[in-house]
Amino acid sequence: MQPNSPPNPIRRQLLTSVTSLLGFVGVIFAAIPFLSAFKPSARAEAAGAPIKVNIGKLSQGELMTVEWRGMPVFVYKVSNEAQNVLSLDKTKLADPNSAQEQQPQYAKNDTRSRKEGIAVLKGVCTHLGCAPKFYPEATSQDFDPNWQGGFFCPCHGSKFDLAGRVYANVPAPTNLEVPPHYFESDSMLVIGSDGAS
Amino acid sequence: MRLLALLAISFFSGLSFTASEYKCGSIECYEFRADIRDKESLQRGLAAYMNYCYGCHSLKYSRYKRVAEDLAIPLDIYEQNLIFDDSKIGDLMHISLKESKAIELLGAKPPDLTLEARLRSPEWIYTYLDTFYEDSSRPYGVNNKVYVNVSMPHVLEDIQSELTEEEYDRYIADITNFLTYVSDPSAETRKQLGIYVILFLLIFTAFAYLVYREFKKDLK
Amino acid sequence: MATDTRTKRLLNWVDFRFPLTEVFERHLSKYPAPTNLNIWYLFGFLLIVVLAMQIVTGLWLMMNYTNSAEEAFSSVEYIMRDVEYGWLIRYMHAAGASAFFALIYLHMFRGMMYGSYQKPRELIWLGGWFTYLILMAEGFTGYVLPWGQMSFWAAQVIISLFSSIPVVGEDLATWIRGDYLVSGITLSRLFAFHVVLLPILLIAIVFFHILALHEIGSNNPDGIDVKKHLDEDGVPLDTKPFFPYDISHDIFALGVFLIIFCSVVFFFPTGGGYIIEYVNYEPANPLSTPAHIVPSWYYTPFYAMLRAVDFPLFGLTAKFLGFATMMAAVAIFAVLPWLDRSPVKSIKYKGILSKTFLGIFVVSFFALCYLGMVPPTETKALLSKIFTIGYFSYFLLMPIYTRIEKCKPVPERVAQV
Repeated sequence: MQPNSPPNPIRRQLLTSVTSLLGFVGVIFAAIPFLSAFKPSARAEAAGAPIKVNIGKLSQGELMTVEWRGMPVFVYKVSNEAQNVLSLDKTKLADPNSAQEQQPQYAKNDTRSRKEGIAVLKGVCTHLGCAPKFYPEATSQDFDPNWQGGFFCPCHGSKFDLAGRVYANVPAPTNLEVPPHYFESDSMLVIGSDGAS
Repeated sequence: MRLLALLAISFFSGLSFTASEYKCGSIECYEFRADIRDKESLQRGLAAYMNYCYGCHSLKYSRYKRVAEDLAIPLDIYEQNLIFDDSKIGDLMHISLKESKAIELLGAKPPDLTLEARLRSPEWIYTYLDTFYEDSSRPYGVNNKVYVNVSMPHVLEDIQSELTEEEYDRYIADITNFLTYVSDPSAETRKQLGIYVILFLLIFTAFAYLVYREFKKDLK
Repeated sequence: MATDTRTKRLLNWVDFRFPLTEVFERHLSKYPAPTNLNIWYLFGFLLIVVLAMQIVTGLWLMMNYTNSAEEAFSSVEYIMRDVEYGWLIRYMHAAGASAFFALIYLHMFRGMMYGSYQKPRELIWLGGWFTYLILMAEGFTGYVLPWGQMSFWAAQVIISLFSSIPVVGEDLATWIRGDYLVSGITLSRLFAFHVVLLPILLIAIVFFHILALHEIGSNNPDGIDVKKHLDEDGVPLDTKPFFPYDISHDIFALGVFLIIFCSVVFFFPTGGGYIIEYVNYEPANPLSTPAHIVPSWYYTPFYAMLRAVDFPLFGLTAKFLGFATMMAAVAIFAVLPWLDRSPVKSIKYKGILSKTFLGIFVVSFFALCYLGMVPPTETKALLSKIFTIGYFSYFLLMPIYTRIEKCKPVPERVAQV
């Protein structure tokens, strides 16, 4: 059949517009629960809760890897020789003064640590997320004849010094991230929280 | 709203007759309506549960943190007073009693009670807690009218003897309220959200109806 | 203006390579729908919406569900508690299953009432029937996944039905389970069916169903062939374009449906035990059967028939006969187009016998639905037998009563409203 033309086109236009708009708003609202369901669940949050690490037995120059939020976190007790290297050679580094926000405020210093001598670093390369390898000795390496000790990422060859500062001219754009952490006592490190202060 | 929802039920079930009835074992259930909005009652219920039930009955699908948040208990206070082992606040509420140990001690594995209020109904729990009686033929000297020959001792016996009948009724009402909450922790959010959703849909449908009528005019 | 022509050029570019405009006009905007369609013609659209909803919510559930006997139950509680809005998604999916069946039963009844299965719509009907079969399988397999007591024992009972088949039955049931009793192995395969095989089939068949419908055109409450009278463009006179006339009707119906649906989801998510049974809040325990097990309400008519046949016949066991009766009750819908010998389609113009038997069918269906839910007693067993006969009489006597009754004349054209 041939439908008649609308008796009041403006009213029709108005009604269809309002209804379409409401429908659109409804779809947006309906999408919220589905998008929210992608957020970390209570289980993931619980698994990501702060962890306690006993560093009492960590000797100088030793590195331990602990798991926090499913990723490796390096806890490294800096040796005296390395301490000197850290403050010396800054010329080859991309961001020697930690200008970029890759660490909490309390770790924005020469050794990028909250407590002198203890480095806490996320073991996730800032390039594409591989776990860097630890080469503490300042000896010649295949990837760098003038190696001063630090972290080397096997995936794409990014290099970091012992404080996790990235070298210039490598794929990784920024220093290794320092996770929030605090020292409950001399030997008890808490990773995942800035502490009460 | 209620009427509408009732209509919806009958529409969905294809028939409108009352849902499966709850019988409390050997007796009719006592009248009881769980109130999960009464936060104080829930807090008292939680405390009672943790002290008298949690030794044997886990709430392993629920997390301490969720309970603390929903019952408006500050996390640090909760951690200090209501977590008895080295569990973290975000953990599931497992008990430290191992299953094999429980069977050795009690002869049966005490069930997890997270979903008890949905499985059996709040009335059932309330009536159950109220109908322990002395029976020397049973291992613990008590029996229950709802769960006949239950292998659980009457753990609230001391409480019951200390309190007046009214106080005891309130005490078990608190526990039942808490178990009702923990069986369906999203219930309150769900109902609140539901009101907004239905209101929105009513407006949308009203406009959709006007549009429908508007186009229908062309066909006359 | 410039953008207008640009869109047009893009559309032309696509249309040259893919019949986009043609498909859109043919199946949506210009699809000619009879002018006399009534409220019974809304359920097809709503079924498509529910199907889409089940796919989306199902996808989200699948992301968080674990299909092992050890973890299935707790993973459902994980969804209900730990996943943000997981409870909403799960309740939607559970209530969606019930809504799906409620709507498909109404949709099927419409077809039976107005003779939509008759020539030339046999394939549309068969496609719809097959959709219903797959939906039943979807419902069953989905029901098992939470791995509660009801899930487990429903799986146990349904799969055991196959063991009633003479000679091969026992081996067949074991083969289906992949174990000697329902176990995690069974759960895993039912899960695979539920989330991959059956949905693919379902979507494919629904596609076929709609394509076949759009080839022939919709039937209508009067059963009049609208294609007999065309206008100068070849469009049937007694039709109107789907857009905007039917879509505006459908959207309004969707609003009403969503109000009902959301009332259930937000205020009565377990549907008083009909959508989520209370017994299913206890994890599966192979060592103890719950006192009272019933299938979901949408299967109970067939469950009642299974129980109604409690006598052996012709050397066949009651167990097998019950199973066969149940299967036949579902299968018989498929031959409906060939049982109906009436010259008219719609119940409006059929005789008193057709009306009576359709009435008997409806009463029997609801009665069996009820009888399948309640514990059996002697009276109820007898009633089940009577209503089973009532159910089948609608189909089996159809070739007779549709031929001997006197029909009313069908008008040439759809009456103008």
